[in-house]
Amino acid sequence: MNELEKLFNRIVQRVNINLRELNFDVSPFAIELIPPDQMSKFYAFYGITPDHPPDLHFEHSAIAGSYFLGKSRVRNSLLYKSDIRGDELKHKDQTISFKNLTLALTKDEIIDIEDSALIKTLVHNYSHDPETPEKFFIKDTLAMDYSNIHGSPSDGCFLAPYATVDLTTMRDCVIGAYSYIQAGEISHLNVDPGTIWVNSPGKFNFFYKYPLTLLDRYVSLSPDKVPWGILIDFIEERKIEFQRVFDFVNLEAIESIPKTASLDRYAVVLPNIKIADNVLVSQRAYIENSTLGRGANAQENCFIINSHLEAYNVTAHGAKIIEAELGSGTFVGFNSFLCGKKESRLKIGAGCVIMPHTIIDIEQALEIPANQLVWGLVRDKAELAKNSIALEKMASIEPSFSQGEMHFEGNGALFVKAFKERIQHILEVNGAFFADGKNAGHAQKNQKLSLNTIQPFQFGPMEGMYPNIRILP
Amino acid sequence: MEHYLVKDLMVPISEYAVVVVGTPLIEAIRVLEKAQEIYTISKYQHRAILVLDENGHIVGKISQLRALKALEPEFEFNDKIAELQKFKFSEAYIAQLQNKYRSQRKIITESALREAANKKVEEFMQAPSPGEYVSDDCSLDTAILQLTAGPHLSLLVTRDKQIVGILRISDVFAAVFHEMMTLKP
Repeated sequence: MNELEKLFNRIVQRVNINLRELNFDVSPFAIELIPPDQMSKFYAFYGITPDHPPDLHFEHSAIAGSYFLGKSRVRNSLLYKSDIRGDELKHKDQTISFKNLTLALTKDEIIDIEDSALIKTLVHNYSHDPETPEKFFIKDTLAMDYSNIHGSPSDGCFLAPYATVDLTTMRDCVIGAYSYIQAGEISHLNVDPGTIWVNSPGKFNFFYKYPLTLLDRYVSLSPDKVPWGILIDFIEERKIEFQRVFDFVNLEAIESIPKTASLDRYAVVLPNIKIADNVLVSQRAYIENSTLGRGANAQENCFIINSHLEAYNVTAHGAKIIEAELGSGTFVGFNSFLCGKKESRLKIGAGCVIMPHTIIDIEQALEIPANQLVWGLVRDKAELAKNSIALEKMASIEPSFSQGEMHFEGNGALFVKAFKERIQHILEVNGAFFADGKNAGHAQKNQKLSLNTIQPFQFGPMEGMYPNIRILP
Repeated sequence: MEHYLVKDLMVPISEYAVVVVGTPLIEAIRVLEKAQEIYTISKYQHRAILVLDENGHIVGKISQLRALKALEPEFEFNDKIAELQKFKFSEAYIAQLQNKYRSQRKIITESALREAANKKVEEFMQAPSPGEYVSDDCSLDTAILQLTAGPHLSLLVTRDKQIVGILRISDVFAAVFHEMMTLKP
């Protein structure tokens, strides 16, 4: 057994120890997870920018195909094609507020990954936990393909494929495939696949669960098999396009991109695309034959194909939009799968909020009116009626409401407000409102970003591992 | 009174309603009625049935509440309710949802009663829990504390690891308050 296998086995055991109370064994899922020969094939890379000076520390780890930005430390861990984005890390002396408490940071915040395996996982640090303002920790955690750890420190957890944990500190939890959890703090929780849970204690509680038999078609997981389903196949079919952008050190610049927009060199862009001012296209995004209007953004791992996005659209991490027209200000949440067809397109009205992990998969053309909240599985008009509500009506709900498989308790107005404020924050930090040199965000700042690559051992017992490296500005 | 022991107030197991696993609910209720007819020592009637395994060990108890629960149809929403509790929905919301779901299914129908009558006792009995046992030479003080601390309306009385009787809350209640009545002003 070489060092890489020893490392992976050790991580699996550590995760299992943490999950023993849930009686959950990750070993069967881990067996097929990483072919060891892949770990020496891909280089890792990191961003160099004046806005986020690199401060990186790699120790006894394998980090093939992974990207790092900002201040991170990775120890005894295995990261495969993962994005570790520290572009919203808090700085020394910055103050954070929580209820009536204010706290000043004594040092710069760091993303600290230890004894964990993250596979094709997106880690974004926009963390919220007032208990650990200077450290965004991920330890003893196994995250599978296309999971998102978004502002969510994690200790002893397993995330199945396409699971997202958002603004939630988690300890000793199992998050099922295609589940989305935003709940502040969770521990010792085993979440079934396809669970959508947004809970803000004292304010609101939203819950929806996909019927498992229907979700299985899109993403499935069972021991000793690699994950499968439409969502997995969808990405596999487009894998080759990503190889081209990762194989070349210098790609030709696309000249039609406005100066206020940013198109990451690790994004796939296929003809014919139109990109307006203040657009942000992040790395590992895939844009084909589509228009992105002013201030629209396409975040990491998202796919936009044969579609038109009017303006100020947020396409969150891992969302997919195919054969669709999106009105101005529509929000498409994490890992959503919006799939129209060439002859039966999907039309989404302005101001709609498509909740994270929504699947709209239609055979007949479908039009969603403006300002609707949409969740769950929608395959036709009848399912749209069951799994959507006008935002105005949602805002009037108190104290509770249920519709189809959705349950809501609390103040609907606060729920809508929380979503709208979050969307506004995303547009602001992404530079959607940049004008006259003001309100610059990622779309403008990312233009000052260059990249460096680092390589693993190619031979011997350390094959696939990376040397210990410290990178400072 | 302070010298009372559990064994002074317990009902010996031989006088209690007892059935074996595999007995249908309707048969268990008949056994209870018969035990009630025979038992004349106290005005408080037996309200529970003990369930024995094939080796004669007590493996469960059926209270009136448990028997009524057996009448409830297998609500398919029970799992859903449990899940919403797990995901922090309030008691008020859960109760509202239960009422909504229950109103869609009637309990007192001929077919539901027939179905419940044939249910085996092990399907709805309550297994004894660690706090449910009391030794027969324990003081009544200890037994009272045990009854008030837990959810049990009776305790299983043991002697040399064997269950020899039942200490009913009604008998403890009667003994304590009878003593109170006799106090001089």
